[in-house]
Amino acid sequence: MPVFFQISDVPRLLPELLLLVLALLVLGSDMFERWGEDEESRFERVRAAGSLTAIGLGLIFLITLLQSGYVYRLPADAPQNFFLTIVRNLQNGGPVGDPVVGSFATDHLTMIGRLVLIGAAFLVSLLTLDYRPANNPGEFYALILLSTMGMCLMAAATELITAYLSVELTSIPLYILAGYFQTNTRQSSEAGMKYFLFGALSSGLILYGMSLVFGFAVASIPGGAQANDMTQFLRIAQATATEGAAASKLLTLGMLFIIAGVGYKVAVIPFHSWSPDVYEGSLTPITAFLSTASKAAGFLLLYRILVTAFPNLTGTAEIVSGFGGWTSLLAVLAVATVVLGNLAALPQRNLKRLLAWSSIAHAGFVIMALMAWASPYASTRSMGTSALIYYLVVYTVTNIGAFGALAVASMTVGGDTMEHLRGLARRNLGLATLLAIFVLSLAGIPPMGGFLAKFYIFMAAWQSGAWWVVMTGVVTTMIGLYYYLLILKATFIEEPASTEPVPMPTWMNATLITSAVLVLLLGVFPNLVLTTIDQVKVVAGM
Amino acid sequence: MHLFDLPTTVPWLSLTWLSTLVPCLIIAVLPSSQRNAIRWTGTAFSFLSLGFSLLLFFAYDHEQGGFQFAEFLPWIPQLNINYILGADGISLPMMVLNGFIISSGALISFNIENRAKEYWILLLLLTTGVYGVFVSLDLFLFFVFYELAVLPMYLLIGVFGSTRRTYGAMKLTLFLMAGSALAIVGMLAVYFGNGLQTFNMLELANHVLYSRPFQIAFFFPLFMGFAVLAGMFPFHTWSPTGHVAAPTAVSMLHAGVLMKLGAYGCLRAAMWIMPDGARWWLPIIAILTIMNVVYGATIAMAQKDFKFVIGYSSVSHMGLVVMALASANQIGLTGAVLQMFAHGIMTGLFFAVVGRMIYERTHTRQFPELGGLFKVLPFAAVMFILGGLSSMGMPGLAGFWAEFTIFIGVWQSYPLIAVIAAISIPITAAYILRAVIQVFFDEVKNPEFFKLPKMTWQEYTGATMLAAILILVGIYPAILTEMIDIGVAPVVQQLHGVTNIAGF
Repeated sequence: MPVFFQISDVPRLLPELLLLVLALLVLGSDMFERWGEDEESRFERVRAAGSLTAIGLGLIFLITLLQSGYVYRLPADAPQNFFLTIVRNLQNGGPVGDPVVGSFATDHLTMIGRLVLIGAAFLVSLLTLDYRPANNPGEFYALILLSTMGMCLMAAATELITAYLSVELTSIPLYILAGYFQTNTRQSSEAGMKYFLFGALSSGLILYGMSLVFGFAVASIPGGAQANDMTQFLRIAQATATEGAAASKLLTLGMLFIIAGVGYKVAVIPFHSWSPDVYEGSLTPITAFLSTASKAAGFLLLYRILVTAFPNLTGTAEIVSGFGGWTSLLAVLAVATVVLGNLAALPQRNLKRLLAWSSIAHAGFVIMALMAWASPYASTRSMGTSALIYYLVVYTVTNIGAFGALAVASMTVGGDTMEHLRGLARRNLGLATLLAIFVLSLAGIPPMGGFLAKFYIFMAAWQSGAWWVVMTGVVTTMIGLYYYLLILKATFIEEPASTEPVPMPTWMNATLITSAVLVLLLGVFPNLVLTTIDQVKVVAGM
Repeated sequence: MHLFDLPTTVPWLSLTWLSTLVPCLIIAVLPSSQRNAIRWTGTAFSFLSLGFSLLLFFAYDHEQGGFQFAEFLPWIPQLNINYILGADGISLPMMVLNGFIISSGALISFNIENRAKEYWILLLLLTTGVYGVFVSLDLFLFFVFYELAVLPMYLLIGVFGSTRRTYGAMKLTLFLMAGSALAIVGMLAVYFGNGLQTFNMLELANHVLYSRPFQIAFFFPLFMGFAVLAGMFPFHTWSPTGHVAAPTAVSMLHAGVLMKLGAYGCLRAAMWIMPDGARWWLPIIAILTIMNVVYGATIAMAQKDFKFVIGYSSVSHMGLVVMALASANQIGLTGAVLQMFAHGIMTGLFFAVVGRMIYERTHTRQFPELGGLFKVLPFAAVMFILGGLSSMGMPGLAGFWAEFTIFIGVWQSYPLIAVIAAISIPITAAYILRAVIQVFFDEVKNPEFFKLPKMTWQEYTGATMLAAILILVGIYPAILTEMIDIGVAPVVQQLHGVTNIAGF
């Protein structure tokens, strides 16, 4: 049955539409500014575009939150008036209903994804407010917004073409943003170029994989008629539900290409090699954006595509009872990623590189959550889903904070190597404490959110029988702790080169404090988000 | 001693651990130049926490036994993780111990001038973790507090320590975190192994549904994870380096309370929940602890650095604790907990004398450079000798009862091991007496010593408090043993009366 786009679907797409409008607004409003060559007028322009973006993103975040109904839901017997009707219509577009035109789901996963991604973009735009002026701030912020829109689409895509386009919409702005560093042009251009080359390759891989999967799906229906909806994940799952499909090499190959392509985007080993260079070369707030929102969107897409399109190729994560399916593949990738990521982080002296390797390692942990799909039990699977999303939330907040703290350091101390951070606690205790909170959360120390996030993933993976993956994870957490402690050692224990106090730019300070409070809140009162996250359960196929 | 009842509507145990967390927040907002305000806040709240502990100690109803002052709040219902607190005859003496050590440690820390704000926050955070571990009955909560107690050590040693502080701090933290990693594996196994899917230790211990092979496989990580913190051989090497590097009050807390946390974890989490595994592993563990007890004492004999002597003596004494745990009988376990208390107080006293009274005046801890300090610092000498006598097991002091019961208990289970371990008694006497002679009774080797600054009232009060406890428990051990007896009885029953429930 063909599905048409209806006017009532518009509120369901509201966050994305608002992001698009905001991007155009930011781009256009730049024209009303004074375009001088001097530093002051440039700064004015950056401030204008930046604050518009930040305020806009903040509003969109609130609107999305209201729409989702997670914090407040309008009671059914609320009186009819102008404002309440707006709210009612907004919430009617909330996490309910079938995917829009079969290609855009507005379920809980999308809703939470939107909140995480828009929230991350909001924090990042706050971080950039105090940063050194870019030449064309209108473009800069519009690119961030467009990329955010792409990420929201990635989280929501339930169909191959939408998924592919959203990946591109996310990536192309990011390629440009990675090369946007004004003071360190060579390194930044290298980062942009490298990111683009790897990104283009991975897009090609995704597209090729999709064409194979689509071909398989179309060939499986008799007569080949009605093939135009065979790009939908659910239809692919139906087409592959037969006995022979699971054994089909063509389908497996297509799936492998898709996993590899998305693997590039989220930087899991062996598709990671671009990430340390790109992270180091980019503007630090953009690095924060790359390592959090972009990754989170990639994982949401990977999760949805694997779970809804390939539930018949799940396989098992236990070595004893045979290997096969994507959980086995991901188990191997997860083990390789956590081991190599953590080992490679050990010798790093540049903290952006160090955190780049650490975030590769974290990608390994996220993948472990997908192991839960090796289990036949719905309870385990939904545990894995909750663990995955909780991890993404915590990781996003933490890493924005960590890179934000580095951004402050590189701005005020002059660099982001271990040497620059030496004795930071003597120069600015607040900044050092904030950095310590983020670093400890990344290391997985309670009561920071990072601990429960890791623990939850271990529980889900253990429950699904992937105990050997859990063991590796536990051991590598130990290895990871060493380099995280090195950061604490540099900031707290070592003597500073100079005792001059380090200033703290206002908006960065606000961002860091917000993130730190969230990290602690998520760790101590995880229920604040877990009840919401639990609604995602298992997206489909169950 | 059950002296009075407390109103049950008050969450006493939460108040106890909050009473050291709240000052962290207060100190955090005080300006760092206000050192006196910071010190007094920290000290006042330390004594408040001691007050709470004592109140609970004397309000514990012996007739009723079991866990009292229970609190229950759902925390993460999705994972069936709850905030469950309760105190029994094992945890209450430990809380009192912690209260005494942090109170005297706070007094001893009055002379910290450099970065005092960070120091006090971290010190109190550590104490909070310790209180939390002793009162939590949910394994997850237990672990959260456990980590909270371990991690501040890194910065406390690294920033405020002395000899090879960064190395000592890193080594200590990595060892302990490796222990936690093992414990995490054990926790996951405990959670999923029996189908109950709970971390509630009471429930886990009341329905031991694990098969014997399962227990044998996973008792080891859970026990060892905590035993690392108890300084068990061969994972003890972090402990002397850590003790030596740490600032005085941190050494006191560390050797005095934190290592007990390890033993407490072994007893509460591992032995109580997996008795079959315990019975399989405990003989092996008992053999390993011989190394702790005898080898630790022997190494202490060979040290020239005063703090290393005490560091290795802690390894030896904590070895006795774990050995007594391994004996798995009523007397042995009572001795173990009593030794935890006695050694905690005693070693706190040691470190107060060595770290604060001697090292911070003479700036050396090497035996050849010290000597004749009795003539200069008689109070320090008296305190050290008192602690030393307790450490040797002199009747009339707390250490005697502890070691006496431990050897009786171990004799009942493993006579041969008891005999071998008894070698440590003369060795202990030897190294303590050697230290006493070389440091206090030799000629005054350095004439500068006569110009050393006088004792402060904080040192007098802090050390006297600990010494008084040593003597009090030495004269009237029943004040503790009655309660400990009640506390360890369920664990002993668990270890002896287990019927293996098949399945899984």
